[in-house]
Amino acid sequence: MLSSKKFLLILFLALTLPLAAQDTDAADTTIYDLLLKNGHVIDLQNNRNGRLDIAIIGEKIHAIGENLPASRAKKVVDLSEYYVTPGLIDIHAHFDQKGAWLNLNPDHNTLRYGVTTAVDAGSSGAKGFEKFKEETIDKARVRLLAFLNIVGAGMYGKGVENDVAQMDVDAAVAMVKKHPNDIVGIKTAHYQPTDWEAVDRAVKAAEMSNSVLMVDFHPKEGRGYEDLILKHMKPGNIHTHFYGRLTPQLDENKKVQDYMWKARERGILFDVGHGSGSFWFRIAVPAIKQGFLPDTISTDIHKNSIMLPRAHLNNVMSKFLNIGLSFEQVIERVTVNPAKAIRRADLGRLDEGGIADIAVLKIEEGEFAFLDSGHGKLTADKNIRCMMTIRKGGIIWDAEGISMPDWSTAGPYSNFR
Amino acid sequence: MVPCALPSCSIVEGSGGYLRLSCFRFAFNPIWLQAAIALLLLGGPASAQRYDLLIKGGHVIDPGNEIDSVMDVAVSGDKIARVAEDIPSDQAKKTIDATGLYVTPGLIDLHAHVFGYSGWLWPDDTQLLTGTTTVVDCGGAGWRTFETFKETVVDRSKTRVLSFINIVGAGMVGSESDIDDMDHEKLAAKIKQYPGLIVGIKCAHYGRKDYYNLEQAVKAGNLAGVPMIVDNSILTNNDRDTETKLLKYFRPGDIHTHMFNDRHLEIVNRFTGKVQPYIYEARKKGRLFDVGHGNGSFVWPAAHKAMEQKFYPDTISTDLHNSSIFTTKADMPNVMSKMLALGMPLQEVIFRSTARPAQVINKYPEIGTIGEGKEADIVLLELEQGIFGYGDAWKKKKLAEQRLRAVLTVRAGELVFDEKGLGFPEWDTAGEYQKIP
Repeated sequence: MLSSKKFLLILFLALTLPLAAQDTDAADTTIYDLLLKNGHVIDLQNNRNGRLDIAIIGEKIHAIGENLPASRAKKVVDLSEYYVTPGLIDIHAHFDQKGAWLNLNPDHNTLRYGVTTAVDAGSSGAKGFEKFKEETIDKARVRLLAFLNIVGAGMYGKGVENDVAQMDVDAAVAMVKKHPNDIVGIKTAHYQPTDWEAVDRAVKAAEMSNSVLMVDFHPKEGRGYEDLILKHMKPGNIHTHFYGRLTPQLDENKKVQDYMWKARERGILFDVGHGSGSFWFRIAVPAIKQGFLPDTISTDIHKNSIMLPRAHLNNVMSKFLNIGLSFEQVIERVTVNPAKAIRRADLGRLDEGGIADIAVLKIEEGEFAFLDSGHGKLTADKNIRCMMTIRKGGIIWDAEGISMPDWSTAGPYSNFR
Repeated sequence: MVPCALPSCSIVEGSGGYLRLSCFRFAFNPIWLQAAIALLLLGGPASAQRYDLLIKGGHVIDPGNEIDSVMDVAVSGDKIARVAEDIPSDQAKKTIDATGLYVTPGLIDLHAHVFGYSGWLWPDDTQLLTGTTTVVDCGGAGWRTFETFKETVVDRSKTRVLSFINIVGAGMVGSESDIDDMDHEKLAAKIKQYPGLIVGIKCAHYGRKDYYNLEQAVKAGNLAGVPMIVDNSILTNNDRDTETKLLKYFRPGDIHTHMFNDRHLEIVNRFTGKVQPYIYEARKKGRLFDVGHGNGSFVWPAAHKAMEQKFYPDTISTDLHNSSIFTTKADMPNVMSKMLALGMPLQEVIFRSTARPAQVINKYPEIGTIGEGKEADIVLLELEQGIFGYGDAWKKKKLAEQRLRAVLTVRAGELVFDEKGLGFPEWDTAGEYQKIP
């Protein structure tokens, strides 16, 4: 006969053992510094597109999964109303803040828009790069990379980018090789003479340094766009400003030129580089309707473009969303694609063990207006807004204080009682 | 779309139903002249368009001129031409429908960092995009670095950039306790060299056990006829206190910034929750109190207690720099929204962000009003309704139901920021437009 005491003991064990077992089964008892709960994660490189939790310890992502225990986190942030993506990448920006006059301060023009990696597009060349690195890159909180201008003096000074004598291939190659963690490739831009010197030297420098080339191209008589993208540029090279007015991407009937498709087939990449002159609805809308989408969405952010066209990355992303790209297509073009374009396989994705660079985004609905480079307006009903940015595991931007407790119930804080 | 025979020139139908001229590369050829002649020959309505810009139907709050009602504002060139009810839109080249928005003088931020401090930010993309048309750099430059500041920032910015010049010759990059670099005569000479541009003297981050920096600043201020603005780094040094600073060293018109800081509880007695008697006395004697929000100088408990007792700041300012633009999002509309959340009426908030700061730096009514004949610095503010979160220096938030947001900025008559595209036509009906001004 089972005594009632024994029965109770067995009952107790029967009820509690599974709980105890569960506890010991969970090998991972680490304490998370931060747990992002229930966000809609879009991490296309890892085929994630749904509700997941992300646990962060220190600078790194510790775990990504369903139902990670809140009890193990020092801080929990509920993101059930938002999208969670890898930190965004803007591969065309201008942040050499003490150099070229049009440049901006890097941090607030990136991190407030979910951008955790920005690439300065040729503001400095071999002569000025190390000053740029010391004064800006190494001090920035955003991960700041660079395309090195083929021109030694970079963009500093009127007409300097026309000076072939300054396009020292060997000096550029040496500088790229010296700073492989900072420089992703070579940039050529604003070249006005009618020969191919600038492009060809830049192509050569990129090949010799085994890095990426970004081209800004002003076609001239005898130096046409078709030849650029079909003959002079190499697969993996990037043409930026491709929805601009300078290059003939559409025929007179607004049909995308055959050579655009051919160039894409041979591996030429097409980047937006919005800026204050390079994004026109009358070019982008027909091209997109015909299926010619950008490979990468970027801003060319500088002192002019940030004002009236207001071309920060969320603004440019919103334009594409409203023109008809899906949200996933937009995210792909600011995470996966730019990471591939600049050959940084570690970026644009969320990996356990990887650096925790994360953007929290919201698609706002209402009435919004977006200006193109000519200030023509698109009235639209969706707007992509960055609610929170995490850089190296820390919440660096929190637009509405979603990670903060309410002051009136937070108890005494700081030295105020 | 009206065809135009001139090269690279077209006349496009504007959003207000008027004819507007759109020219590309106007800076490089005399096309403007040709265009003006062409327009006259067309017999168009040019003669009737006496204004360049008309802001129509907005609720104007211009405390300096005691306007608080729906009015139209017309701009010619860089000046305010007329403020009146029902100015016809056919009298303007460009009309902006401001229905449902507030129209106020361009905001004035008395405390920001646009030079000489490790966290400096360029003024245009931080200030003009938040409706602020005048910013006073708070101590970045000293008399020895002022020329560099003027050349690299003041002269190159669209924002009106003024200076509270540092008592220390080297400015904020130097040690602000370096008493060997506080030459009041050289400082006064520099201020007199740039009247109206250097509007006062900044003293901050002083670590010695005396008031020497304030004594020097007062001497220089008396020579040059300008006020000083002083931070609150007092308790780090127990031989100094705020009461002595305000009552003994300050003159009427001198400014105490970071007033809602949490470090020393200068405003509110921590046990009784009452505004300190010497704070009232200081105000009575003409000492001024500035928000200077920043990274660490605004905590909800201090602000709540003071504002409950109607101890309002004289001036609302940001202390905007590369940290506070993240942590507390301390731009002018955000700090103004916090004042609204604390119960300050909208008209008072606007007054303390426009006319009042202009008075404090002796620039009123040159700036801070929408006065006819004055430089046209105008902002359109939207008062959004919803649930908004506002963080403080210690990462605690207050939820509030309103948010002030700048949606359009005019600086010296130029439309420099237009979040809602109010000044521009739809792309698909505007024709082959070039850059629309």
